[in-house]
Amino acid sequence: MNTTRRSGLNSTALALIPLAIAINIAIGQIVQTLKLPLYLDSIGTVLVGALLGPWLGLLTGALANVIWTLTGLPNSGPAINFAYVAAVIGLIAGFAGRAGLFQRQSPRWMSALVGGIFVFALTLFVLMFLNRSPDPDAFPPFPSAGELLQQYTIVFVITTIIGLAAGYFILQRAGYAGIVGLLTGIVAAILSAPMAAIVFGGVTGAGTDLLVAAFRASGGSILESTLAQGVTSDPFDKMTSFLIVWLIIQSLPRRLLARFPNIQAVEEPTPVPQPAAIR
Amino acid sequence: MQSIYSPGDSLLHRLHPLTKLAATALIVAAAYLLPGLLSPLALFLVVLLLAYIGGIMGSFLRPVLLGLLPIVVSLFVIQGILFPPPGATPLQLGPITLTREGLALAFLISTRLLTFTSAILLLLRTTHPADLVFALTERGMPRSIGYILLVTLQIAPDMISRATAIMEAQRSRGLETQGGLRPVRALVPLVGPLVVGALVDVEERAMAIESRAYTAPGPKTSLRELVDTTSQRITRWLMLLGIVALIAVRLIGFFR
Repeated sequence: MNTTRRSGLNSTALALIPLAIAINIAIGQIVQTLKLPLYLDSIGTVLVGALLGPWLGLLTGALANVIWTLTGLPNSGPAINFAYVAAVIGLIAGFAGRAGLFQRQSPRWMSALVGGIFVFALTLFVLMFLNRSPDPDAFPPFPSAGELLQQYTIVFVITTIIGLAAGYFILQRAGYAGIVGLLTGIVAAILSAPMAAIVFGGVTGAGTDLLVAAFRASGGSILESTLAQGVTSDPFDKMTSFLIVWLIIQSLPRRLLARFPNIQAVEEPTPVPQPAAIR
Repeated sequence: MQSIYSPGDSLLHRLHPLTKLAATALIVAAAYLLPGLLSPLALFLVVLLLAYIGGIMGSFLRPVLLGLLPIVVSLFVIQGILFPPPGATPLQLGPITLTREGLALAFLISTRLLTFTSAILLLLRTTHPADLVFALTERGMPRSIGYILLVTLQIAPDMISRATAIMEAQRSRGLETQGGLRPVRALVPLVGPLVVGALVDVEERAMAIESRAYTAPGPKTSLRELVDTTSQRITRWLMLLGIVALIAVRLIGFFR
C-alpha cells in the first residue's frame, strides 16, 4: 500500500505528525520532573523536520505549540504565543535534514571551533551586560569588545579553552547536527525575546527568571535581558534536541527510514568494510 | 481525550464555536490595545462574568490564578521592587522602596496576562475540540490540520504515560536520573525508545488512515452538526470590526 503518494500531507505525514507533537508534549512535561535547566519541547518538531522536510517541520512546530496550550496541562499556557518560534525550528531542521546533516559526521576540528566560538561569544555577551554603564544617557551604553578583552583576558582564555574542549569531546559525536542545533538556539532566542518581553514582561515563572533578573541588575531593559537569557539557555536546549534526534536517526534501521522522503535524499555515508573471507 | 472541555448546557456552551473564538480574539485584542491602566482588569471581570454565565465559575478561577501566581510574583519582584524603570518616583512601603511606574508596569502586564489566559481557558472550557475543529473546517481550514489537532489531543495522555513507563523501566534497569550531569546522559535512553516506538507506530497508522479512505478525494459528510443563527453571524462580524477598529485607533495614536 503506497502511503507516500501525495507529496506533503500524505498519510505517512498524517500518521507521524500527531505522534511527534505528542512526543514534544510528553518529553516537555517529563523534563520538568527531571529538574533540568532545559525545556526539550522540540524533539518531535526537529524529528519531523528531519524526516519529512522543512515545510512539514514548520507546520508541526506551529501546531505543536498551539495544541500544547489546548491541552491545558500545567505550564502549557505560554506555549501558543511562541508557535512562530517552533515553526522556524522545524523549518531549519527540515533544511538540515535535506542537506544530510543528520547522517554525516563532522570533522572534529569543526566541532571544537564552533564550541570555542560559541562560548567566547557568550562570555563577551555576559560581560558586556555586567559592565554596562549605569548612566542612562551614556552612548554607547556597553563597553566595547576591545576594552572587555583587555580587562578580562584571563576569563576569556579560560572560557574559550573550555568551549574548545567541550566542542571537541561533546559535539564531536553530534556531527553537523549539533552545530545546526546551536545556531537554531540562537535564532530561537532572538525570535522569542520580543514576545517574552512584551507580552510576559520577560518572566515565565520558571528558574530562568533569575537570569533575567541578573541581567536587569546590570541595567539592561526588559527586552535586552530577555534576549540575554534566551541566548544563554536556548542554544544548549536546541543543541541537545538536535543531538538526540541525530543519535536516534543514526541508530534506526534503514527499513524504518525508507518511508521518509527527506532522509532518503542522502546516500550511504561510509562504505562497509569487506569481511576477511572475500579479500 | 486530553482536553479541558467540561460539558454543560449553558448559553455559552450552545453558542457556535466561531462566535466564541471571535469573542476571545476581541477580548484579548482589547486587553492589549486599549489604553488605560485599569482596562485589562475590567476585561478580566467581563470574562469572569461570562464564566459565571457558562456555569464553570467554580473550577475556573483556581487554575487561572494558581497558574499565573508564579509569573505575577516574579513580575512584581523584578519590576516593582528590584529593578524599576530608570527615573521613577519612589514610594515607601515600610522597609521596601517601591516605585509607582514599576508597580504600574507590573500591574498592567499581570492583568493583561490574566485576561489573556482566562479568555482562552473560557473558550476551551465551553467548546468541545471536535466542534471547534469542525467549525473551522467548514470555513476553509484544511481537514488535515483539524485531524492532526484532534488526534494529538487524543494520544497526548497515552504518550505521557508511555514516557513515564519507559523512565521507570530504565530506572529499574539501573539508569541513574538524579544528581549532577546524570539527567542529561539519561535523556537518550529515555527519549530513544519513545521515538523509535512512535516511528514503528507510524507505519500501522498510515495504513489505517489509507484504509479508511481519508486521503480519497471528494466531499465528506460529518457526524457532528453545529447550530448557527443570523444574530450570531452579525455579532461575529461586529466583533471582527471591533478588533480592526482597535488596531486602527492604536496605530493612529502611534503616528500622531
